[in-house]
Amino acid sequence: MDIRAQISMVFHLDKCIGCHTCSVACKNIWTDRKGAEYQWWNNVETKPGTGYPGRWEDQEIYKGGWQRDTNGGIQLKGAGKKKGLINIFHNPNFPTVEDYYEPFTYDYLNLVEAPAGDDQPTARPVSLITGEPIDVKMGPNWDDDLGGTPDYARNDPNLEKLSPAEREAMFQLERMAFFYLPRICNHCLNPGCVASCPSGAIYKRGEDGIVLINQKVCRAWRMCVTACPYKKAYYNWYTGKSEKCILCYPRLEAGLAPACMHSCVGRIRYIGVLLYDAERIQAAASAADADLVARHLDMLVDPFDEEVIAAAQKNGVPDSTIKAAQDSPTYRFVKEWRLALPLHPEFRTLPMLFYVPPLLPVVASVREVADEQKKKSLNEISKVWPDNWLYDTSTEELWGTVEQVRFPLQYLASLFSAGDTGAVAARLKKLMAVRIFRRFKTVGDVSEEIMTKVLADTGLTQETAEAIFRLTALAKFNERFVIPPAHREQALEMLEFTGDARGSTGFGFRERPARGL
Amino acid sequence: MSRLLLARLTVPALAALFAVWSPPVAPAGAATGAETFGSVCAACHTIGGGKRVGPDLAGVNDRRPAEWLLKFIRSSQALVESGDPVAVALFAEHKVAMPDFPYSDSEIREILEFVKRGGAGGAAQPPAAAALRTTTPEDVRKGLELFQGTLRFANRGPACNSCHHVNNDAVIGGGILAKELTTVFGQMGGPGVQAILGKPPFPVMDQAFASRPLTEDEIFALVAFLQDADQHQQFQKPRDYGFKLFTSGLAGLVFLLALYGLFWRRRKVHPVNHAIFARQVRTQ
Ligand code: SF4
Ligand code: SF4
Repeated sequence: MDIRAQISMVFHLDKCIGCHTCSVACKNIWTDRKGAEYQWWNNVETKPGTGYPGRWEDQEIYKGGWQRDTNGGIQLKGAGKKKGLINIFHNPNFPTVEDYYEPFTYDYLNLVEAPAGDDQPTARPVSLITGEPIDVKMGPNWDDDLGGTPDYARNDPNLEKLSPAEREAMFQLERMAFFYLPRICNHCLNPGCVASCPSGAIYKRGEDGIVLINQKVCRAWRMCVTACPYKKAYYNWYTGKSEKCILCYPRLEAGLAPACMHSCVGRIRYIGVLLYDAERIQAAASAADADLVARHLDMLVDPFDEEVIAAAQKNGVPDSTIKAAQDSPTYRFVKEWRLALPLHPEFRTLPMLFYVPPLLPVVASVREVADEQKKKSLNEISKVWPDNWLYDTSTEELWGTVEQVRFPLQYLASLFSAGDTGAVAARLKKLMAVRIFRRFKTVGDVSEEIMTKVLADTGLTQETAEAIFRLTALAKFNERFVIPPAHREQALEMLEFTGDARGSTGFGFRERPARGL
Repeated sequence: MSRLLLARLTVPALAALFAVWSPPVAPAGAATGAETFGSVCAACHTIGGGKRVGPDLAGVNDRRPAEWLLKFIRSSQALVESGDPVAVALFAEHKVAMPDFPYSDSEIREILEFVKRGGAGGAAQPPAAAALRTTTPEDVRKGLELFQGTLRFANRGPACNSCHHVNNDAVIGGGILAKELTTVFGQMGGPGVQAILGKPPFPVMDQAFASRPLTEDEIFALVAFLQDADQHQQFQKPRDYGFKLFTSGLAGLVFLLALYGLFWRRRKVHPVNHAIFARQVRTQ
């Protein structure tokens, strides 16, 4: 056992309202710079849709991530030693700026400064790269506006596994639905970006597993841009270095949640420590498609297990981190309750960002009820519907609706479980069970019998269901964000000998004082 | 005039032939003129030693008006271009343009003064015994290597073939930036070549070797090589690839482009939404 700690994230997709507050928070802090305008370390996609950069999930185009080779090992699909060297000066699978979008602003000044004329002055879009007026062709979330068009929503790579009939059904007016998929770097356990870098500039921090690009070492080979299947490594054309989400590590070290999480309006985001067994990484990354999710979860270990704790301590994981792992909301969602799934596990980078798949909007059943009595008893000024149909979301036929969710299971499975519909269905059923349980408790229109049956079916107890409900709906900052103390002093001691500075100028000077020393 | 005659008599002809830039030991007053002459002018001119690259300067002060000399020394080509008959005739006779010298009037006058004295008080003395040695095939071979850059100059100066070419079987494609040197030995003679190598009067060459001068041995070897090249030029038949070199280069280019095209044929050329963008309406 080789137990290490990793900061991991859970995004609860049922709660995301697609407000993009997270993206803007991130942009304002980190990517509001020349050369980084087009980079959205956090972006929110509308699904079904092609995403950002366009069709990023299609690795036949971008050649990101890992693939299994004939001896059961894994190789990078488009980078790595051999392919990387051959293509080092000419990367053939590189996304162009049009695949992201040409960053632009508007010529606002013209609104104020335009000379008097016959027409109302306008603010034309202006490219942030060339400074010339441009036609906006694409934006960081184009799908949000153009989701329904055949060019975007219907080109979602995840629809490929669906039968034409299923696909058509998804786009019927009455059934049409979409959900939001916020994405940041997954801070993977088997990161393609790290493996691909010819300069060795990318590394995974030992203490918390955050994946970072050393800006001094980066030599602009841009292999990481190709190798990251999530397209979360970006090239800054101005500085000539690649950049990526840093999980706001300066904030984490100060005990604050990353900006995107802190600002999240839907409170969909959770952050916490997971302990994992590094010896199982290889098995998990090279598992057969059907076992990918199971192996991935096998790697995560129980932070309450004595043996695990001892092994972690032996590896130098501080007690405070182990404690954080025990309180971790992500451990709960991912492993204990098995509610969350990794995004595209078939890319085999072992992402450490997990998603609770969207159950909503639930499909209701419509049935006729005899409500004559009820109507008569109402006050005469009350509004009475002429028909007697009930739009019933309490689901008499229990799991029937899970199979008929708006997003076909096959579609969700293509996103979250490498095609394993069972894994998605199990999670959706649990979400449904918690719903039914809470409906029993608060609305009271579900019988106890049904409630007990759904809980038993999904293997939840009333306490667990309640806990899931609390962490989903009511959790405060400190429950959603369990951040281990950073122990930077230890990291520092690993890098430099503190005795060197002893007896010299206190904390040292960043700049020497003008008066001299 | 008598001083000039005296100078001719006192400076043995042979010594004058080998006169080069050896640092002149001169009386304090005449130092500058003598020094400049020794280090710059002597590369091409003698005083009473006969024609070298340029004419013998003995009596030049009497031959030409002082004004004319000032102008000519500052920029001979300007004078030639202005159509001055004497300058044109000189250029026609010697065929080598005298470089421009950015000296002040007084500096030039000092040099002329030195010339008038017949080089007395600092006349260039025959230098380096090395120059008197007879050349051996060894020297010629070393000179060839130095010329081609296969042997590096001790002070790391650039190899001759960066700019010059020599018609010689062993030399492939020397530079075309400066003069072709096959017959330079015949034109200038050993001492002239030697003087130029020691202290190049041409601004570009001077710059190139200013901080990386050639050693005496190297100069000797190069002179030996150039002499050899001059003497044996009739027997040299280096291959002239002519147009073939160009066509084979073109063929190589086409081949490489085809290879790249094949190698990167699956390259992602267009953005994924190319078709959409292509049919979008553009503002003009
Ligand atoms: S998501 Fe991409 S950039 Fe982030 S760690 Fe994984 S491979 Fe690297
Ligand atoms: S801030 Fe939260 S709710 Fe809003 S888009 Fe981002 S993840 Fe979704």
